[in-house]
Amino acid sequence: MTTTQPAAPGPEVTGRPATEPAAEPFLSVRDLRVRFGTEDGVVKAVDGLSFDVARGRTLGIVGESGSGKSVANQAILGLHNPKATDITGQILLEGEDLVTARERRMEQLRGNKIAIIFQDPLTSLSPYHTVGQQIAEPFRKHRGAGRREARERAVEMLAKVGIPHPARRVDDYPHQFSGGMRQRVMIAMALVCDPDLLIADEPTTALDVTVQAQILDLLLELQQEFGSAIIMITHDLGVVSRVSDDILVMYAGRAVERGTVHDVLSRPQHPYTWGLLGSMPRLGGDVGKELVSIPGAPPSLLDPPSGCPFAPRCTFRDEVPDNLSCADDRPALPDGRGAACHLTGERRTVLFTERIRPRLL
Amino acid sequence: MTGTTSHNERAGAKEPMSKRTAHRRRTAGVALALAGALVLSACSGGGGGGEPEGEDSAGPEQSAAITFGDEAASTGPAEEVPGATPGGTVNVLQETAPDHLDPAQVYVSHESNITRLLHRGLTAVRLDNEGNYSVLGDLATDAGQVSDEGRTWTYTLKEDIYFNDGSPITSADIRHSVERLFADFITQGPSYLQRWLANEPETYRELLPDGPYGGEHLPDSVLETPDERTVIFHFEQPQNDLPYALSMPGYAVVSAEGDTQEAYDQEPMTSGPYQIEEFRPGRSMTLTRNEYWEAASDPARNAYPDRYEITFGHTREDTTARLMADNGENQTTVTFNNGLDAGQGPAVVEDPQYQDRLVDGYQPYVWSLAINQQTVTDRRIREAIALAVPLNGVRAAYGGALGGEYAGSLISPLLPGREDDYDPFGKVANPQGDIAGARALLEEADAVGYELNYVHHTAPEDQQAAIAVENALEEAGFDVNRSEVPPETYYDTIGVVDSGFDIYRSSWGADWLSGSTVVPPQYDGRQIADGASNYAHLDDEHVNSEIDRILLIEDPDQAATEWFELSKYVVEDAVASVPVIYYRQTMLHGSLIGGAVFNDDVGTIDMQRLYVIQDGS
Amino acid sequence: MLRFLLRRSLGALAILLLISAVTFFLFYAIPRNPALLACGKGVCTQEQLAVVEHNLGIDKPIPQQYWEYMVGIFAGREFPAGSCPAPCLGFSFRDNRPVLDTILDRLPTTLSLAAGGVVVFLVLGLGFGMVAAWRRGTLTDRTVSSTSLVLSSAQIYFLGPLALALLVYNNQILSQPGYFPITEGPGAWFAGLLLPWLVLSTIFTAQYTRLSRAALIEQLQEDHVRTARAKGMGRRTVFFRYAWRGSLIPIVTVLGIDMGSLIGGAMITEQTFALPGLGRLAVDSVTQSNLPMLMGVMLFAALMIVVFNIIVDACYALIDPRVRLA
Repeated sequence: MTTTQPAAPGPEVTGRPATEPAAEPFLSVRDLRVRFGTEDGVVKAVDGLSFDVARGRTLGIVGESGSGKSVANQAILGLHNPKATDITGQILLEGEDLVTARERRMEQLRGNKIAIIFQDPLTSLSPYHTVGQQIAEPFRKHRGAGRREARERAVEMLAKVGIPHPARRVDDYPHQFSGGMRQRVMIAMALVCDPDLLIADEPTTALDVTVQAQILDLLLELQQEFGSAIIMITHDLGVVSRVSDDILVMYAGRAVERGTVHDVLSRPQHPYTWGLLGSMPRLGGDVGKELVSIPGAPPSLLDPPSGCPFAPRCTFRDEVPDNLSCADDRPALPDGRGAACHLTGERRTVLFTERIRPRLL
Repeated sequence: MTGTTSHNERAGAKEPMSKRTAHRRRTAGVALALAGALVLSACSGGGGGGEPEGEDSAGPEQSAAITFGDEAASTGPAEEVPGATPGGTVNVLQETAPDHLDPAQVYVSHESNITRLLHRGLTAVRLDNEGNYSVLGDLATDAGQVSDEGRTWTYTLKEDIYFNDGSPITSADIRHSVERLFADFITQGPSYLQRWLANEPETYRELLPDGPYGGEHLPDSVLETPDERTVIFHFEQPQNDLPYALSMPGYAVVSAEGDTQEAYDQEPMTSGPYQIEEFRPGRSMTLTRNEYWEAASDPARNAYPDRYEITFGHTREDTTARLMADNGENQTTVTFNNGLDAGQGPAVVEDPQYQDRLVDGYQPYVWSLAINQQTVTDRRIREAIALAVPLNGVRAAYGGALGGEYAGSLISPLLPGREDDYDPFGKVANPQGDIAGARALLEEADAVGYELNYVHHTAPEDQQAAIAVENALEEAGFDVNRSEVPPETYYDTIGVVDSGFDIYRSSWGADWLSGSTVVPPQYDGRQIADGASNYAHLDDEHVNSEIDRILLIEDPDQAATEWFELSKYVVEDAVASVPVIYYRQTMLHGSLIGGAVFNDDVGTIDMQRLYVIQDGS
Repeated sequence: MLRFLLRRSLGALAILLLISAVTFFLFYAIPRNPALLACGKGVCTQEQLAVVEHNLGIDKPIPQQYWEYMVGIFAGREFPAGSCPAPCLGFSFRDNRPVLDTILDRLPTTLSLAAGGVVVFLVLGLGFGMVAAWRRGTLTDRTVSSTSLVLSSAQIYFLGPLALALLVYNNQILSQPGYFPITEGPGAWFAGLLLPWLVLSTIFTAQYTRLSRAALIEQLQEDHVRTARAKGMGRRTVFFRYAWRGSLIPIVTVLGIDMGSLIGGAMITEQTFALPGLGRLAVDSVTQSNLPMLMGVMLFAALMIVVFNIIVDACYALIDPRVRLA
């Protein structure tokens, strides 16, 4: 890999905005690379990703499909087939490196310390077991609870996520629930062991808008109650703005912009983030205004460009200073607030203010 | 002669019926010559168990004369088979299970071969240690006392003869057995005796329409039973073959007291050395000793084994494989009907290790191609057909050398009076057929492109044979239209006089070892009718008068020679039928089976002489 | 469940009725006269043929014959040659017995062959399939997969004689195959059927290995299996409690079809090992043109396939709660 400025590992306090409460990172991902061997070659699904999440905070990871956000998070859980996947870098959970952890250790962590909510609750719940069994199962395993205790816990969790008549519904099968209720079951299952880190992988994508809002509120409520850290993976900036403290924008397996919700949404620095914002409808926005989608398609991860992966789609690549080549030089993402872009900070401010923001308003 | 299973496995179930159709027709009303001393061929390849005739004779050899046994010869027990010991169990592998156990319903060989162990008749044919055949008195004291120039036959019953329930067999049982042959439900057995008694070829049942069941009986002018031990048959025509006919399993005795009519077919009483302990249709049959059978009364059955375990559903491949393996129970195993299969057979026949365990012989059938005399009227065209038919092509369809031998005549090698090297068209020498000769004849007759309608049936080997024949005929200049019909309607199809077919196959088998069961039924011109068996529709003055003349010849040797002479006329002068193959059957048996020799009369291993070689003997 | 069974049974009855009608009319459209077989062929005069046809009940119009056949199933029939009590599946005029008697006589053989074979190939097939899926991509998997690919394309008429030659005739490792009723001695029953079971199951085992492996691998990619892993379930739990259960559905589907046709008669296996079962009965009936028997066997086989279809559907419900039996 060629980078003009290698990402330095370790926390960088100076980059953090003053408004952010100081917290030790609970999870720290350092230079994570995930590669899959396929028939066509090696897919670099995640390519040098670093981020931190602190307890009680929510990190939103946004990006198009195939940007590597789900892959990265499944790597945290160690769900990839180790034979077909090559993972390097570090995933430090309270200082313990999960990349090198044994499978048995990962089994102890999954569903216990780290839990995940998948996108499609219909396919992600087993059709062959009652929701009670599915919720109770990790509780029995991780807490050594007995059958009855685990069942009571399942009923309690169902009540907590707002399922009516939980004592009766605990013996129902997932197909007997509506989509939103099913996602509540998923959440109940994820939270049954009070995880310290909850990864929500597009938890509301499959749901209709009113239900989306309910689920997000539920997550926030539960976060307040349990104090978990949450990673919210989504392609929907609206979702992120609603629940996240921080945002990480991913493109082609790499992080291209990072910052607090406020910073990134109000003063985005990366042309890709501009594109995302431009393609998103806004409440209160001009109804007649055209949504602008980003031209082109993401690069193949089989053979990603050695320079800036976004350059082929970037409207402003001609404005890059002459000493940098978008095609050859890879822009680095600075720690803390920042974007991986060759444009100078001043130029980006000017471009955003003059050419992008007017379109967004 | 009731061996009716053709040599080919797949035709096994069909061919017997078709063939039976053939030779059961129109045999009635024909007076048969006295056959007192027929010469027949005793061919057996390698007798097991130290048989006197165990030399390896591949071809036919005329050896012994067949005789009618007198009282001394007919007295039991049967002559001991050298080296034989009683006891043990013989396993029999068969393909098809018998559908009928009522003797009067038994005709086809897979049934008769088994029932020969169960039922006894007035007479029986015995193969002795020297390889000679004789017709002996079985239930009767001798083969029959003839008077009135063959029109009256008198039988006296032995005294120590019983059914398996212990009841004695009397003349009333014989009368009953004969009378029930006329009942409607008896449809499957032979009909010679009925036709002779009624002197009616087709409507014999009118003699006693309900059999004995309506209270009516045959009059004394037909059948007399003056006392418990005497049975007298009266015929309007001389019936000098009666002792042979009565030896057929179909004429074995049925108990008058124990007759359950249709149900008798499932549970018959037996008079022979064995009874049916268990019969599971289609699966297995266990025969155990009939305690009431007296060896001293039976000159025809040695009955050495204590038990027969017969199982059904064995293909030729399965049977051959088991007998080749010769392990465990297979060592005491035989088969009556499953010849070597076409795959393994040729290797087995060549392999020295099997030679001691092979039994082979001719079957009574001759495959011939009948030529319709009423449609193919030009003799030259018929001769062209005779020249063109490829014997090798047909034989290949029936399994090659294992299945048959090229035929020069219409008379099976089993029958006496033959000229063994008879080969009028040189076909045996050149089995591929004489295409050039045939074409020359066609050209001479100005008939190139002559249209021939050819019908055969749908069995695979019949189709294959038909294709070989068709190809050769077309090459010779004929235009052949081939059609095919299902096997069971085949003989009905070709039996119609105006069928419109010109050539068709007929597989004729002699019912006993006399030309009288071959030539008259097939070539008597006065018997051309729908459903009759003169398939060639030959109506020839010479043949007709010769049949009448030969039937009256009393010297069987002379009659046999004359029948063969007449058959030569049919082949050469009339060209009514083209002889193609004599069927053969080769069987393997287990190494602990003794006494296994081919019996020409039954057309398979002689089941009466079998024994189990005991340990240490 | 009761409603399901009732509804399906009615459906099955309709299917059987249709099959019986089609078979019946097809058979009697064949230009073969069963009377010719029954009457000593050619010996019979036309009058006698008529008598025989009357006795066989084939002198009436075909729809009426069919009606009488159907009535006979429920009420039994009387033939001049014997009686055929209900359920009368026809009367074989060849051996003068009710067809059902013969079928029931052959059934234990076929049932034993099928049941034993199924046990062997299910245990082995599912077992090998699980091993291969569990160790996917390893040498074990590749060995199992390629072996099962080769064997699944083998044929009984090839394997059977080969096994007989190797294991029975030449080395006497196993005893001569045959059917001995289990009531007369479980030992003989087992020994007699062992080789047929093994040969029959070799091919089925190979097929079920492939099926099971493929189904398991597909299930292992399911989202809910990933969820189970994400919950911290061990590999074993994930494999057996989650993936395996779903993999049973395609297996049960195929098994239902196989069971139905196996009990309808494993013709080639029965032929190869000379076992007197329904398959051989069917073959014999064809070669002997025994139409009533063939009709009976076909109806029985159809009944078995229909019954196993219902069982399969019931199994779906057992395996997958989403399938409701109503």
